[in-house]
Amino acid sequence: MTSAKGRSVKMTATPFTRALGFLALAAVAVMALLGLVVSPPDVVQGEAVRMLYLHVPAIWIAYGSFAVTSVSSLLFLRRGKRREDKGRHYDRLGGAAAEVGVLFTGVTLITGMLWGKVTWGTYWQWDARLTTTVLLFVTYLGYLALRRLPADPVVRGRRAAIMALISFINVPIVHYSVDWWRTLHQKASLSVGRRPEITGEMYWTLLYSAVAVTFVAVWLVTHRYRVIRLEEIRDEEMLTALISQRVSQDLPPVSDGDFDE
Amino acid sequence: MSEVATVAVGWGVTAVAVASYALWVLLRGRTIGQELDIGGSSSMLSDKDSTTDQ
Repeated sequence: MTSAKGRSVKMTATPFTRALGFLALAAVAVMALLGLVVSPPDVVQGEAVRMLYLHVPAIWIAYGSFAVTSVSSLLFLRRGKRREDKGRHYDRLGGAAAEVGVLFTGVTLITGMLWGKVTWGTYWQWDARLTTTVLLFVTYLGYLALRRLPADPVVRGRRAAIMALISFINVPIVHYSVDWWRTLHQKASLSVGRRPEITGEMYWTLLYSAVAVTFVAVWLVTHRYRVIRLEEIRDEEMLTALISQRVSQDLPPVSDGDFDE
Repeated sequence: MSEVATVAVGWGVTAVAVASYALWVLLRGRTIGQELDIGGSSSMLSDKDSTTDQ
C-alpha cells in the first residue's frame, strides 16, 4: 500500500482557507447583529422580517451552488476525456457545490416554513413556489445519492453530471414560479430590472447577509472539495492494496525444486 | 409561538445546521487524513497527485 506521504501533500487548512474561515465567521457575526438588532421590524411583517435575512440569501446561495454544479458537470462531460485525470476535479467541484446547495435549500425550506407560520398562519401550502422548491431539494438529494452508488468513478461521474444538468432545469422554474402562477408566496424581494420590494436598512441588511452567506458557502465548498479528493485517494489506495493482496494469493507456491537448476 | 420565538428558532436551527455540516466536513477530512497518514489535520492534494508519486 503506497502511503500518501510519498506524494506532494499539502494541509487542507491553507492560509487562504483559514483567512476565509475567519472572514466568514466575522461576517456572520455582523450579519446577526444587523439582522437581529440593528434592522427595524417591518410595518406589515413585524419581527418575522428578520427571517428573510436568512431565507432569501439561502436560496440565492442554493441557486448559485446548483449553477456551479451544472457548469462543472457540463465541463466534466465535454472536456473530461481530454484531460489526464478524466476531468474528475470538475466532478468533485460539482459534488461539493451540490451538497452545499442542498444544505442551503434545506435552510430555505425551514426558515420559509417558520416565516409562513407567522405571516400566513400555516407552515406549509402546496403552492407553486413551495412545491417546486421541495422538488428541487429532493432531486438534488437524489443527485447526491447517485454519487454514492458503487461504480467506476468516471462512469459514476458521467451519470451524476447528466442528472445534475436535468435537475438544474427546475432552478428557473422555482425562481419564476411566483410570476408564472398565482401563488401564496410573495414575489421576489430583489429582482433585476424591477424596483426592490424593500428599502433602507432592511435592503442593505439583506444585501450584506447575501455577501456573508456567500463567504460561508465558498469556505464549505472549498473544504468539501478537498475532503472528496481525500476520499478518492483513500479508495484508490484501498483498491491497490486489495489487488496486490489478491495477486499475491493467486501466485503458485514456490517449491524447493524450482531452484534446483 | 410568538414572532420573536419563531425568529429565534429559525436563526438557531440554521446556525446548528450549518455549523454541524462544517464540523462534519472538517472531522471527516481529519479522519481520512489520519487514515492516509498525512498528519492530524485534514489534507488536500493537487489534481496531479493521484497519479504522480514523487
